[in-house]
Amino acid sequence: MRFADGLAFALRETRGSRGRLVFFVASLALGVAAITGVSALVGSIEDGIRDRSRELLGADVSVQSRRAIPDELDALVAGIEGARRTDVLDLSTMARSSASGRSRLVEFAGVGAHYPFYGQVVLDPPGTLDDLADDQVAVAPEVLSELRVAIGDRIGIGEAEFVVAATVLDEPGKLGAAFQVGPRVFATRAGLERTGLLGFGSRVRYRALVQMPATTRASTVDAWAASLTNTLPGAVYLRVETASESQPTIRRSLERVERYLALAALLSLILGGVGVAQIVRAWVASRTQAVAVLRAIGFRPREVLVLFGAHVALLAFAASLVGSIAGSLLPFALPLVALDLLPTDFALSWEPLSIVRGTLLGVAIALAFAVPPLTAVWRVSPARVLRSDAEPLPPPRAVTIASFAFIALGVLGSAWAQSRSLSLALYFTGGVAVAGALLTVGARALTAIAARTPRERLSAWFVHGISALARPGAGTRGAVVALGLAVLSVTMLALVQSRLVERLRSDLPSDAPSVFLLDVQPDQWDGVSALLAQHHAINVRAVPVVTARLASIDGADVSDLATKTSGDELDRPRWVLTREQRITWGELSPDNRIVAGALWSDPDHAEVSLEEGFARDLGAHVGSVLRFDVQGVPIELRVTSIRSVQWESFSINFFLVAEPGALDDAPHALLGAARIEAGEEQAFQDELAQQFGNVTPIRVRSILEKVLDVLQKLSFGVQVLGAFTVAVGLAILAGVAATAAVNRSREVALLKALGVHRATIAGLFATEFGLLGAVSGFVGGTAATVLAWQFLGRVTDLGGAFVWWAPIAAAVGTGVLAAACGLLASARALAARPIETLRG
Amino acid sequence: MNAAVACIRLTKRLPSGPEMLTILDSVDVEIAHGESVAILGPSGSGKSTLLGLMAGLDRPTEGEVWISGRRIDRLSEDELSMLRRQQVGFVFQSFQLLANLTALENVLVPLELTGVRGARDRVRKLLAEVGLEGRAHHYPAQLSGGEQQRVALARAFAPEPAILFADEPTGNLDGATGASILALLANLRARRGTTLILVTHDSEIARAAGRRIHLRSGRVEEVEANA
Repeated sequence: MRFADGLAFALRETRGSRGRLVFFVASLALGVAAITGVSALVGSIEDGIRDRSRELLGADVSVQSRRAIPDELDALVAGIEGARRTDVLDLSTMARSSASGRSRLVEFAGVGAHYPFYGQVVLDPPGTLDDLADDQVAVAPEVLSELRVAIGDRIGIGEAEFVVAATVLDEPGKLGAAFQVGPRVFATRAGLERTGLLGFGSRVRYRALVQMPATTRASTVDAWAASLTNTLPGAVYLRVETASESQPTIRRSLERVERYLALAALLSLILGGVGVAQIVRAWVASRTQAVAVLRAIGFRPREVLVLFGAHVALLAFAASLVGSIAGSLLPFALPLVALDLLPTDFALSWEPLSIVRGTLLGVAIALAFAVPPLTAVWRVSPARVLRSDAEPLPPPRAVTIASFAFIALGVLGSAWAQSRSLSLALYFTGGVAVAGALLTVGARALTAIAARTPRERLSAWFVHGISALARPGAGTRGAVVALGLAVLSVTMLALVQSRLVERLRSDLPSDAPSVFLLDVQPDQWDGVSALLAQHHAINVRAVPVVTARLASIDGADVSDLATKTSGDELDRPRWVLTREQRITWGELSPDNRIVAGALWSDPDHAEVSLEEGFARDLGAHVGSVLRFDVQGVPIELRVTSIRSVQWESFSINFFLVAEPGALDDAPHALLGAARIEAGEEQAFQDELAQQFGNVTPIRVRSILEKVLDVLQKLSFGVQVLGAFTVAVGLAILAGVAATAAVNRSREVALLKALGVHRATIAGLFATEFGLLGAVSGFVGGTAATVLAWQFLGRVTDLGGAFVWWAPIAAAVGTGVLAAACGLLASARALAARPIETLRG
Repeated sequence: MNAAVACIRLTKRLPSGPEMLTILDSVDVEIAHGESVAILGPSGSGKSTLLGLMAGLDRPTEGEVWISGRRIDRLSEDELSMLRRQQVGFVFQSFQLLANLTALENVLVPLELTGVRGARDRVRKLLAEVGLEGRAHHYPAQLSGGEQQRVALARAFAPEPAILFADEPTGNLDGATGASILALLANLRARRGTTLILVTHDSEIARAAGRRIHLRSGRVEEVEANA
């Protein structure tokens, strides 16, 4: 057959029942919309999260070093069209007021043009840092109160005098009280150079901030950032961060949500595919006689498959186009349905390319899932043109194997496209195959049990329902597998989503500290805490802090370790070794969990417990000996435990925690933390400056609120996506249940001719569909519960109880849904009149 | 074996509950090229089953089927399809037209399958020959039973098969319409020299055939030929 004739045939197949065609396209479109809609929602949520996360960093990528940033970075940034760079130099230094005679240790930053790229430095009076002259500074309110100066006054930093031009009300940044020494002062880059502080021996921190073009994907940014450590000279002295990595407090939540999004995107493929498969199955069943005619006049089965496949491809293209447009627009409909849930600035993006991608993915999935039901043409005997009860032909084994290989390849390819990870796609395809096999076994067991169940004592409804499941050609197996897979997808998503949202909500640090207090001397603490109490502070806490320099690890001098080049055995980030370390001691907060070794378990040595990421960076492990230089006094601590820390709590936590008593004699200060209502903060700060001038308050409310905002958006995004996917899944489930209820008008007519009432027949059908749904729900729900339990425990670190009641709920829910949808789909059949038994 | 169709000890059994039901029992038939044969018998005698086996639509339980010197009962499904495509045409009692295709397109289908050049012209001529030149673009549902069977005749003759199998071709038509269809069938066959094997339970219709094979309970009861 020529291509044009085949195409013409495929087009002609679209004639006929317009209602069937609309139903077919609508069902396909719903399946494709599930895939593309989830994909678009995932994209929107990721973009939204990325937008908010990079406001915390102020850039897409930050490159930090204690040395000047290599010049080669310029060429690398210039190589990306639309990318740009600005630089910030930070150093800790003293600011002084000659008028008041007071001085204060501050974090002094000289910023380049356009800083920050994302978020903003909010100044009072309003303006931008670009407006600053080289002899002007913008300062945190703490500087004004502690130096007792006002806007327009002069302060001295290094060799230069500056006019205070504005106060800084808000700035991009991150929570890092443990490493921050004082309130912020901003100047221009040239202003910083005027101070003369950039000379030999200065402790300047260089930061190059890079903004990527707006259309750059987060994965591209991450890949580019990762490549810097290979391409820049002296990369081991560099600390490269992307927006998504910059906040330890939200990083884990981001990772969990990303894994959930990937799961949702993949499960949407199953939902869409199952919907397509069942529709094609029902359509092929309705075309059996046409297939027999084509076979009788000489069409080979594979030619019929190609003709019908071309027809499905045409419809799939139309449906995919509709579905992908609808799906990609779906995020924009969110405000209509979830106005009260939607944050006012929730970011939404629309990418026309996603429609092309969605259409191609939709056609691919439609064809992959359509092929197995289409191979039913091999079973159609041409003898049906003579006898409608001609027995079906056995399908060739090669066809059966090829159809499963085709669907496996289709699922693998689509999963790869959807997840962009081959290994994940392989795991997913394997999981679907195992679930399909389990459901097939379940369906066979159901058929066998139905055939052998003694029916004498059962009610007529159950007898009919059970008999219908067991009768040859009832399609029980296909229906159970399809329904079961849909139930599996919906239930698994619901279970994972529920646990994730629960965790995201519990992660919201509603009582996290809003102010940190640096350099509190031990004898000042009673006074400081009394002042905090006056201002109704809650969650007041103080821990001792010793500043120290790391001298050696397991006998190896850090200066030697730091000069090793990349490619060395350990490849440590150098800044970890060379920076000033802060060590606390005492009991661990509940945010800490020992993951290796045992806390304070060595009676013969002074011990230290390391945070796991920090230990990895140091190349230290349980048993390692760390030597510190504490203000000239050498102290040796043995690593006896490694901890994971729940940074999301925002509490005071440290990379290094020494055994109680080990550092008692070392000179130390206290790090305080408390939560103060916003209205009390300024008054507290003013009084603190008057009574305890050496104590530096670091207000973190604005940063805290930004992090809270990101966490709330994550939670919102997960809920919206989950609700959408579950809703589409239920719609597809309803469609699958409806297609399982094939046209039974002849059966209804016969039962009516025998005197059975319509309501009774409806009851018989409801029992049959309900049993089918209940079994599918139970098997699919059980598989989902096990998989969700494993996913939560292994892929995310959320863990969670085994939800034992989920399979029962899935069985009951699917049973009711299948009965209702089956009856709806059988409405026309139920209206059949007894006279139809007399017709052919 | 030079016959157009030959059956040797042809047997067909079908499952009926736990038992096997014998539909055809060791039937021997030989039909020459160009011959016109009617298969007669009461309902359930195995007429349609025999037709299906001879046409390669179905497979025998035992015995052999030969078409134009080629044994077909051991051919694969694909080979049987090719055989039907190249040598066999069908007319059915219930017409078996594809409902979503027009009359012209229904007749066109077997020609498109073989990629015949000038197929549309050939189909238009055939439709004119069966008296439906004005109904070419009508769908089956828009045609009367007689017209549908004319379309089916045109479709059957379109690829110019060597053998035409007709299963109760007038069974769904009234007497006058049935007679006109039979006349048309005879006319088309005579012009092309096609071998005709026709199944009917109507002895009047069977009388038009050159030879009549009477079946009863799956066995050949009698064979009679015109003088």
